[in-house]
Amino acid sequence: MKESLLEILCCPLDKHDLELEDAEYDGDEVISGTLVCSECGERYAIEDGIPNLLPPDMREETPA
Amino acid sequence: MNNDTDTVAGDRDPEETREMVRERYGTIASDGQDCCGDVGIDVTDDGGCCGGNADVTGSERLGYDADDVASVADGADLGLGCGNPKAFAEMTSGETVLDLGSGAGFDCFLAAQEVGPDGDVIGVDMTPEMVSKARENVTKNDTDNVEFRLGEISHLPVADATVDVVISNCVVNLAPEKQRVFDDAYRVLKPGGRVAISDVVQTAPFPDDIRMDPDSLTGCVAGASTIDALEAMLDSAGFEAIEIAPKDESTEFISDWDADRDLGDYLVSATIEARKPAHDT
Repeated sequence: MKESLLEILCCPLDKHDLELEDAEYDGDEVISGTLVCSECGERYAIEDGIPNLLPPDMREETPA
Repeated sequence: MNNDTDTVAGDRDPEETREMVRERYGTIASDGQDCCGDVGIDVTDDGGCCGGNADVTGSERLGYDADDVASVADGADLGLGCGNPKAFAEMTSGETVLDLGSGAGFDCFLAAQEVGPDGDVIGVDMTPEMVSKARENVTKNDTDNVEFRLGEISHLPVADATVDVVISNCVVNLAPEKQRVFDDAYRVLKPGGRVAISDVVQTAPFPDDIRMDPDSLTGCVAGASTIDALEAMLDSAGFEAIEIAPKDESTEFISDWDADRDLGDYLVSATIEARKPAHDT
């Protein structure tokens, strides 16, 4: 994902802003890292450039 | 539990429904076809939700023209839609587009051509296998204005009032909580933003064997709402200029979704359009 698009993302639970942590880049693309909700603190992983923004209770079937 | 007034097909728990849908479309993403199993709904080569096996002829029946199909690299068009949102979304250069249930990304790549390098297209899908496939297709299509997120369409990970157009193709019927989907679409749209959705709508009550059949739900049949129900949900979400137009010609491909009966007796593909008021009230 591109960091510039972070501003239109939000936490799927409470819709607050997300902050990017531990980002690894390939050019201007964020390849891995963690998106953290500024309100509830929920953490969302970015893996292979794809942010996993499923609500926590829907993540069980997703690849680790 | 939710308090939605829309009927959850087979009276299933929303979570159970989502899991069934995710499992099926994960398999389609991995295998490319044979989504329908052996419970009456036939896998055909003619496209449609159930086909999972696109070819040019099938895609043209859904409303794409040959140029659309040729303009996107192979692998994104799984033939799982029931219309062509691009044809009526009237996307223009620089707009931000959100695709609900983006699958392998075909409609996103078409949208990306419409909005150009100054626009952005975001696809949201809850199936990891689909999102992975879509991301591979980004590389194949050499585009840099399309992104995919793993997410769920009644819990959109998209900020308020940031999107010009919400598109979707044969996905909302699969959602167990449709009111929440429309509420969240309304939230992410900018004032004056619009939805342009292709989806199946129910034209006659389903017999119990269709209504209760899990494969009928995940095959884009049993979860379809009536036009009246959809209008009520869009209205409740706050939308105006709601227009739901059945496409009579769609019964041709819908009839092919099941070998044993004519699903065209119960379903038609429709275009679903609505607008968020320019001044939010």
